Amino acid sequence: MQLSKNLMQTNRKAKKNLSRYLILPAIIFVAIITQIPFIMTIIISFLKWNVKRPDMPITFAGFDNYIYIFSDSNFYRVLLNSFIQAFVSLALCTVLGFLLALLFNRSFKGIYFARSFIIVPYFVMESVVGIIWKTLILSPSFGINQVVANFFGAEPIAFFSSGLSLVTIIILIVWQWTPFLFMILLAGLQNLSEDVIESARIDGAGGLSMIYYIKVPMIKNYFIVGMMFGLINILKVFGLVFVTTQGGPGVSSANLPYYVYRTAFYDWQMGRSSAIAVITVVITLIIIQSFFNLMKRRQKGGNVA
Amino acid sequence: MTAKEKRKLKSNLTTLATWLVSIIYAFPILYMFITSIKPEEKVAPPRWDFTPTLENYAVVFSDELFTHLFNSVIITLITVLLAILLSLPAAYSIVFGNLKKAESYYNWFITTTLLPAVAVVIPIYLAFNYVGVLDTRLGLILLYTGAGVPLMIWMVKTFFEDVPYEIIEAADIDGCSRFTSFFKIVLPLIKGGIFSTALLVFITTWNEFFFAVNMTYSKSSTLSVYLNRFLTQQGFFWAKMSAAATVVVIIPIILGFFTQKTLVKGLTVGAVKG
Repeated sequence: MQLSKNLMQTNRKAKKNLSRYLILPAIIFVAIITQIPFIMTIIISFLKWNVKRPDMPITFAGFDNYIYIFSDSNFYRVLLNSFIQAFVSLALCTVLGFLLALLFNRSFKGIYFARSFIIVPYFVMESVVGIIWKTLILSPSFGINQVVANFFGAEPIAFFSSGLSLVTIIILIVWQWTPFLFMILLAGLQNLSEDVIESARIDGAGGLSMIYYIKVPMIKNYFIVGMMFGLINILKVFGLVFVTTQGGPGVSSANLPYYVYRTAFYDWQMGRSSAIAVITVVITLIIIQSFFNLMKRRQKGGNVA
Repeated sequence: MTAKEKRKLKSNLTTLATWLVSIIYAFPILYMFITSIKPEEKVAPPRWDFTPTLENYAVVFSDELFTHLFNSVIITLITVLLAILLSLPAAYSIVFGNLKKAESYYNWFITTTLLPAVAVVIPIYLAFNYVGVLDTRLGLILLYTGAGVPLMIWMVKTFFEDVPYEIIEAADIDGCSRFTSFFKIVLPLIKGGIFSTALLVFITTWNEFFFAVNMTYSKSSTLSVYLNRFLTQQGFFWAKMSAAATVVVIIPIILGFFTQKTLVKGLTVGAVKG
């Protein structure tokens, strides 16, 4: 009896040992595609390398690329754009997503269809979002923009001029990413227990106070998750900028990903572009880490109160 | 009016408002679809007295579109398949493999999704150029699989966790090999979750733009890149442009309807547990 039990245990252990190696192919593959190239990017960022000029040798440049970037006024503009773009969009997406979630947190006939209408933009590719907004909707000559302007007897708004291009990019990001926050926050609201809502109602909470004191704190975790992933994705936005403004006029609507692309594939400066990429990653990690810490502190503070 | 009637009226009005909001929100997409069935001369400036037509679609369905549609389909399907083949064993290993640092492997996969594409694009471009896979379907498949695997592991792990470990232990005791028990017991339990996750990887791959635009220029481009080129070439023919765009987005939109639940479940599972 004892013997067979031991035998069974070794057998089971062997099985466990075997399944432990099943993770290896995925790790190796992902490392080759993501980690090794990133290390290469760091190395290239210390080189002077113009790929379109094979006659010019690839030379070690030390910190030259970084010094160049940090003394480039365009870079600071792009950096500021990225911050504004990320945080303004995220704030708007969250507020709008939550309001929509409140509106949809009930049941009526056809709710599934109505909800799908809100979610659609999230599943549409960035290049299409950019193209239809640029032409059909916001074009000052034949877009809905012009129809609306005519209706009010005003001049159509020049959405792609230097003063407004960043705002326009933000509008497009908000349109595409609000559905994401909406889905997650709605899941949170639907997960709230009826009892809590009911007892709060008996205690006299209703309308706004119910939302502010009961619902928001209770789905705090959903806010954190939604905002974190929203932020990660909004920091990566590229296609929208690429197909609408090309970062312009000038660099007025360029963000960091677009600037990396332009330095690499317009100026062919591989070293400089890699340096901007490295800075982008560092900034991304700092933003996400500090955002995460902030949220965590908030969460703890909330629990005490 | 009784209180009950009042409540009913209020509910109906809210429903009406909800519908209005939904339609306004989806307006750009709806308008794109309407434009795609308008004759070209009714598009700019927009006029509403038109008879629906399919002529734009007839023009748009050219050999070129089919080439890129074929690229998108092949690249996306192979990516999804490879992602499943690599991710399922890995997720199994994380949940049931008794790994020492299962949680940190899992977190490592998630952090790789944080890495912006620009952080890797230059060395990959240079390497692809060197090896000769620039502007090939293989190149994009490799990149997309690299991005799809972490996403898939992330989502699928939660489904594996729903499978009670006792079932697998019982199968062990019955002398069932782990291989057999995976296919006979675990897989049937979570196949719905895997399917929706695969749809999610399908959508993100189908819609990917950054690598597609940088790693391909003509023959291997996916639909997202083709559409952008179509706009620069035919930017004044909005009806045809809308028809092409409708063709491109219809698949992810339909699939999106089926995968919403998984997406939300996968993302918020941490939030629910607190």
